[in-house]
Amino acid sequence: MAASPTGIIDEIGIALNNITSAATGAVTPVMRLGVTGLSRSGKTIFITSLVHNLLHAQNNGGRLPGFSLLSEGRLIGVKLSEHPDKAIPRFAYEKHLSALMGDDSKDKLPYWPQSTRNISQLRLTLKFQSTKWFTGLAGPSTLHLDIVDYPGEWLLDLPLLSLSYAQWSDQSLSRAERTKATKQTNAFLSALTPLTNEENASEPQAEKLAQLFTSHLKNARETGRAMSTLPPGRFLLPGDMEGSPALTFAPLPDACANAKNDSLYALMQRRYEAYKSLVVRPFFKDHFARLDRQIVLVDALRALNAGANAVSDLGEAMTSVLACFRQGSNNPLTWIVARKIDKILFAATKADHVHHTSHNRLEKIIQRLVDGASRNARFSGAHTAAMAIASVRATSEGTIKDKSGELDCLIGTPAKGEKLDDKVYDGKTKIALFPGDLPEQSESIFQKSLKPDLLNFMRFSPPADLKTDSENNKGLPHIRLDKALNYLIGDWMK
Amino acid sequence: MRKPKAQILNETSRQGTPKSVEKPPRKPAPKPTREPKAFAPENAVVTTSEALDNFNQTPATAILSERQKPRANWILRLALWAGGLLVSLGLALMVDRLIADLFARYEWLGWAGLAVLLIFVLTLTILAFREILALASLKNLDDLRHKSKQTLSSNMPDEGRHILARLQSLYAPRADLAHARQQLDRQSADLFDGADMVQLAEHTLMAPLDAKAKALTAASARRVAIVTAISPRALVDVAFVAYESIKLARAIAALYGARPGLFGAWKLSGAILSHLAITGGVALGDSVIQQLLGHGLAAKLSARLGEGLVNGLMSVRVGIAAMRVTRPLPYNRLKQPQVMDFMADLANITKGEVEKN
Repeated sequence: MAASPTGIIDEIGIALNNITSAATGAVTPVMRLGVTGLSRSGKTIFITSLVHNLLHAQNNGGRLPGFSLLSEGRLIGVKLSEHPDKAIPRFAYEKHLSALMGDDSKDKLPYWPQSTRNISQLRLTLKFQSTKWFTGLAGPSTLHLDIVDYPGEWLLDLPLLSLSYAQWSDQSLSRAERTKATKQTNAFLSALTPLTNEENASEPQAEKLAQLFTSHLKNARETGRAMSTLPPGRFLLPGDMEGSPALTFAPLPDACANAKNDSLYALMQRRYEAYKSLVVRPFFKDHFARLDRQIVLVDALRALNAGANAVSDLGEAMTSVLACFRQGSNNPLTWIVARKIDKILFAATKADHVHHTSHNRLEKIIQRLVDGASRNARFSGAHTAAMAIASVRATSEGTIKDKSGELDCLIGTPAKGEKLDDKVYDGKTKIALFPGDLPEQSESIFQKSLKPDLLNFMRFSPPADLKTDSENNKGLPHIRLDKALNYLIGDWMK
Repeated sequence: MRKPKAQILNETSRQGTPKSVEKPPRKPAPKPTREPKAFAPENAVVTTSEALDNFNQTPATAILSERQKPRANWILRLALWAGGLLVSLGLALMVDRLIADLFARYEWLGWAGLAVLLIFVLTLTILAFREILALASLKNLDDLRHKSKQTLSSNMPDEGRHILARLQSLYAPRADLAHARQQLDRQSADLFDGADMVQLAEHTLMAPLDAKAKALTAASARRVAIVTAISPRALVDVAFVAYESIKLARAIAALYGARPGLFGAWKLSGAILSHLAITGGVALGDSVIQQLLGHGLAAKLSARLGEGLVNGLMSVRVGIAAMRVTRPLPYNRLKQPQVMDFMADLANITKGEVEKN
C-alpha cells in the first residue's frame, strides 16, 4: 500500500479551501465536474459538445432527452458565466466550436479541435425548477457547474508526492531497464553510466540528461507501451512550465548519491523536490482534491486497433490513474471540510465509430478495462458507471451486402492518413466502413488472439453538416451524452 | 481416456476454412470474426428508422413473453360447445319458423320480416366485429406494457424503436397528442438504448395522459362522495358507485387508447377487480385513511359525509387500478399515483362542482 500522497499540512489546506467554497456555495451551490482522460481520448470535444448541447437544450433541436431536467421540463435556462478564479485559463469553448464548424480553417473544412495541454475550466450556470417543495417554494434554483479539464497524464504525478528522490530514481531507472530497449532509452541509460558521485552540478549536464530522459518517456508513450510507467507527467505535457528548472531533472542511480551541496545529485534532488512542491502539490490541492464528480474518458478503440498489449497497458494506466482519486461517499456532516468524488463515470468515447448494435460490447469492454479501478472506487463508497458515448457523431449508419452476408457499416469521411489494407485515405473520400467485430467476450481483449489489424476503427473527420445544424439552432449530434450528463449532475438538480 | 486438449477457437475461425479439429466438448463455437472493410458509400443502404423497425424477436424474449393460459377441462369445453350448438340450432329453427309463418300470413310481411332479419344479422356482425377490435385493442395495450417491461431490462435499441413505432400508430388519430408525438419522434432519433426510448415515451406521451386520468378519477371520486352523502337510500349509492366505476374505467381505457366495448368492459372490470383484490390486501395506508376519514373525523361531523368519503376512496382505487391495467407503458420514471395524491381532491368535494357552475 502506497503512502498517502498528502501530508497533514496539505489536508488542512484542502479543508480550508473546501470551507471557503462551501461558504461561497451556500447561496448558489457549485458543482466541480472533473473531465479527464489520457491524451487524445476526446476531452476537449466532450466539453465543447456538452456545453453546446446544454446551451441549445431548450430549442426545438434540443438533443438531450435523456437528461431528467429536460424530460421533466424543469430546465429554465443555461448560460456561460465568468469563472471567479481568475488564475486558471478559461476553456476556449468558442475557439473549439469554430474549429468543429470549420469557420477558422482556410478551406472551411471542419477539424477536430486542438487537444488539452493545460488545466482549464469553464463555468456554466443552470437555472431550473426544483421538485422538492421547500426549495421549489423559493422559485427557480441555480447551480454553477464548473467543468475542470485537465490532462490525465498529470494524475500520474500524484503518487510522486509520497516518493523521495532516491526512491523515484530507483523506480524509474528499473522501469527504463525493464522496457524493451529502444534507441532513446539506450541513449539515456548510457549517458548515466559514466556518472559517479564526484560529479559537480552543471547546468548543461542537467539539461542534457533531462532532455534524454524526456525523449525516452515520449518514445515509450508513442510506441504505446508502458503508459503506467511514465511519471513525471509534465515531461510529456509541460503546459506552461516548459523549460523551467523544475522540469529540468532526471533520475540518477544510487551510485551518484552525494550529500554535498554542489553535486549534481543534490541539484537533481532539489529540482525534483521543487517539481513536487511547485507543480504536483498545487495541482492536487487547488484543483484535484476539490472535485465533486469525475468523468474519465477512455479511447478504447485506439487501443483495440493496436492489439492486446496496448489494451492491457491502457487497463494498467487507468488503474494507476484512478488510484489517485479522492473518492468515497460524501458525509453530510463533514462535507464542508472534506469533499470527495462520489460518482465516477468511465466513458468509452468515439462510440460513433462502432455500429450501434455493438455499443453494448464496447460498454462491456470498458467495464472490463476499468474493473480494478472501479472496484476500488466502489469499495470506498463512490458510485461508478461505464458508458459508450460519442461527444460528436461523425458517422451515420448503414448496411452493405457482401459475400459473407450483410455487414453493419459506418458511413463517414476517414481522417487524413488513415489506412486500411494499404489504402491510405486523403481525408476527403467518404466511405462505408466495416471496422470488424468487437469481441463478444470482454475477456478476450487481453488475449493474444486480438492481433493488430483484426480491428480497424478508423478516425473519422467531423461531419460537414454541423454548421447547418447549428444554424438551425440544434445542439451537436451525439450519442448518450445526455445519459452521461444525467448520471453526473442529474441528482444535484432534483 | 482422451487427453485434455485446448485450442484457440478464434484462430481457426479466422482462417476461413474450418478444419475438422476436435473441439472441446460443449463449448459454443464463436461466430467467425469478421475483418474490417471499406466500401464506396453509394453501395451502402442507409439505415432509416423504418428499417430498424423490423425487429427480430430473440428466442430469449419469446420464451419470456409466452404467458400461461388457463386451460379449461376439455370435457367441460366439449359440453359447452355442444350446448351452444344446440341453442344456436334452436334459435335458427325459431327464426326460420317465424319467417315461414310471416310468409304464410302475407307475402309482403314475409319480405319485411326477412329484411328486418337481414338488418339484425348485419348489425350484429358489425357489433361483433367491433367487440373483437375492442378486445384486440385492450390486448394490444397489455402486450405493449409487457414488451416495454422487457425492453426496460434488455435495453435493446431495436425493441425500443419497435415500441415507439407501435405507440406512434396507437396514438396517430389523437389530436391532443400530436405535439407530444412530434416531440417524441424528434428526440428519439438521438437515442441508442431501448430503455431510454421507453422512458422518453413515458415522459412525453404518458405524462399528459396520466394527468388527465388523474383528473377523471378525482372528478369521479368527488361525484361518488357527493351522491353518497345526499342519497336517501343505501341501495342508490351502491348502484351509483357501480355505475361510476364502470364509467371511470371505460373513460380511462379510452384515454390510454383502448376502445372498450361490451365484452371489453367486462374484461376490463375483471382485470380491475382482480387488481383490486391483489392490492387491497397490502393497501394498509388506505385503511388507516379510511378509519380516520370514514369513522373518525368526517363521521363525527356527519355520518353520511364519512360514508361518502369512503365511497370516494373506493372510486379512487378503481381509477388507479384502471390506470395500471390499461396504461401501455409500465410506471418507470414517473411515479405511480397513490390514494394519498387524491386526498386533497376528496377533502374539498364540492370544489369541482362549484367551479363548474
